[in-house]
Amino acid sequence: MTFLLDANVLVYSAERGSDRGEACARILDAVIRDGAPGGTSPAVLEEVWDLERRRRLAGLEGLTERLYRGLGPLLPITDAVFALALKLDAPASATNDRIHLATCLVNDIGLIVSADRGLDGAEGVQRVDPSDRRAVDRMLAG
Amino acid sequence: MLSERLQILITPVQRRRLEAEARARSVSVGSLVRDAVDGRYGGAPAADRLRALEQIRAMDATLPGDPADLDRLIDQGRSEVAMRGLAPVPGAPTCA
Repeated sequence: MTFLLDANVLVYSAERGSDRGEACARILDAVIRDGAPGGTSPAVLEEVWDLERRRRLAGLEGLTERLYRGLGPLLPITDAVFALALKLDAPASATNDRIHLATCLVNDIGLIVSADRGLDGAEGVQRVDPSDRRAVDRMLAG
Repeated sequence: MLSERLQILITPVQRRRLEAEARARSVSVGSLVRDAVDGRYGGAPAADRLRALEQIRAMDATLPGDPADLDRLIDQGRSEVAMRGLAPVPGAPTCA
């Protein structure tokens, strides 16, 4: 696996009629249908699930289960992931983002697909914006 | 059906870990390894995965135009749960 899908990409893949939604759906399609080397983790899906359950946004019902079915098995959040997350030098990153970054690093994944600029600058993990078509094409081509 | 034999070399530490975990779960080491392979590299059958994808493509969620707002909603959820779920501990110092 070479890239991790962040929660915002997964959530926007359920949006129709917007450039961002279509860009995210295209990435999800490449992973599930074409076997592009991407995946996600329980920590990411928990964020999607929390949004879905709080019903603050319309139209997300069932998304988490569908993502799990499409993207499983998930990358494990292991003891090694947590230990590395604690040690990461990323003062601007929230705890959940540290877990995502550590998940990448432990699994030798160098790319995280996310619209969250807060993930920029992490050592060893480069953010790919889902709306950056050229960068996404490069990523999907491996 | 279990028909394939796989012989691999592992370290003594890995062997001790596997045997301890197998004892704790009352299963064989082989069963533990098979479960680990399925858990790490398995997943739903291809037809189920494609059906999940089609179901997602049929969704029409209403989302914030700015992804930063979506990330704020994610973080906000954590704060709300934390504020709701943590009852004060008697005698413990509190944050002002």
